[in-house]
Amino acid sequence: MVDLRVTYGDFVAVEHATFSIAAGECVAIIGPNGNGKSSIALALAGLVARSGTVEIDGVEAPPRNPAWTVGHGLSLVPERRQLFPTLSVLDNILLGCYGWTKNLRKARKSEIFAEALDLFPELGGRLSQTAGTLSGGQQQMVALARGLAAGPKILVTDEPCLGLAEAVARRVYEAIKKLHDEGKTILLIEENPVRALQISGRALRVERGVVDEAPAEERFESFVEQLESKGQAAR
Amino acid sequence: MSEFGNLLIAGISTGAIYAVFALCLTMLFRTSAVLNLAVGDFAMLGALGVDWLVHSGGLPLVPAIAGDLAAIALFAYLYDFLVLRTALEGSRAREAILVVFFFTFSLSLFIQGVAQQMFGTDVHSAPAVWPGPALRVGQLNIQRPAVILVCLAVLIGAGFASYLRFSLIGKAMAACGDNSMGAQIVGIKQPNYRRWTFVAMAVLAAIFGIVESPMTGYVYNSGGSLGLLGLIAAAFAGFTKPSRAVVAGLSIGVAEAMLGGYVSSQYQDTLLFGVLVALILVRPQLLGEASPVAA
Repeated sequence: MVDLRVTYGDFVAVEHATFSIAAGECVAIIGPNGNGKSSIALALAGLVARSGTVEIDGVEAPPRNPAWTVGHGLSLVPERRQLFPTLSVLDNILLGCYGWTKNLRKARKSEIFAEALDLFPELGGRLSQTAGTLSGGQQQMVALARGLAAGPKILVTDEPCLGLAEAVARRVYEAIKKLHDEGKTILLIEENPVRALQISGRALRVERGVVDEAPAEERFESFVEQLESKGQAAR
Repeated sequence: MSEFGNLLIAGISTGAIYAVFALCLTMLFRTSAVLNLAVGDFAMLGALGVDWLVHSGGLPLVPAIAGDLAAIALFAYLYDFLVLRTALEGSRAREAILVVFFFTFSLSLFIQGVAQQMFGTDVHSAPAVWPGPALRVGQLNIQRPAVILVCLAVLIGAGFASYLRFSLIGKAMAACGDNSMGAQIVGIKQPNYRRWTFVAMAVLAAIFGIVESPMTGYVYNSGGSLGLLGLIAAAFAGFTKPSRAVVAGLSIGVAEAMLGGYVSSQYQDTLLFGVLVALILVRPQLLGEASPVAA
């Protein structure tokens, strides 16, 4: 990603953002809320207008074309999940396959779909339940499974634990860590740096829309404290 | 008994067209959260267009139907491309529901205005697709267009319901109406679904107008009242379930015929709307269940 810029009217959400992620890496984007982390995720997924260059495996992604992005291996698990509330859990996860097939039978029989279902075995008894009736934690699990059903090379998860109880958040992080251990490339957007740095090998700090590579020494507690105090001051 | 039977048949045949309008509204709303208030006007355009091509243009029936439907498909495509796309995907997309409501209402008035200029204010109808006298079953009279209408309505309703349930593209259509942002995230090109559903539903409404018009005859503004009852039937289906939209449309047609036959033909419409309002007040859940979470 080179010189990414995202604006909403006159407001500049992200500016001069440049970074790359190697295959198999888990990179965290951290920083206080309202500083442009989610805008980076939305721009990468082609969901908002942007300038600058985004490349996936050396191929330049057209702006504002989420179907292209999904088709080329970048899957977003967005903040607030964006599930289909009146459709069943099973249908929500099946629709994750839409980026690579339009054939329902092929999707259901695929290994990718089976892996997505296996990610959270606790959803097994709720496959016919409508997604809108699930708890927040269960909805997050469905969102992650749907993201995985796209068969992505890069999985972008935006605030995966927002509003979840600690035990559920741990379960969600366990699943993300498992995916990373299996070789999946992960871009993890997280307000909570302590949590993010538990599984990511590298951190990028976003402040007022500007991305900085967080130095290695800042991976430790002093960095965490610094970020938290900045976040509080900003609020 | 024969009076009841004949009223029932009349109600089912009228209900079939409400059912199809409800189906058209439901399918489009399901894929794009757009309410096409001009659906009845497309039916009128279908009927009056074929009549004009046959009687003024001298075309045989089949080419006239094909030409009329092709023109309606092109018009619907262009309207979506030029107007709805701008309203829904442009900078004012946040006000989309209000904007689209305004634009489809305007479309209805526009079609009526053009139809008045082209076809005048007289009653017209397309030539019958299945000509001949009414079929007699015992003491019952069944009009031939009614048979086609009811069969098509049931088949199309069941077809759409199955498509939404048993195909990934059908599920993708449902997903578009459920959560537009979610649909984009999984790679669904929602604008394409909206455009082609808008075109397909306009053509479907036109087909039903062509088939139905020999029974009732259409004028330039007939689509308004027909579309309104279709809208109510779609509301009873929660704008989401095609099979329920068909059942609701047929039921409204039967209720209308019974009220006209047994209570008062003069106040038939007033009574019908009174009954429908009372039903909604007593059992609001008939309008479909609201989504438990915001999309």
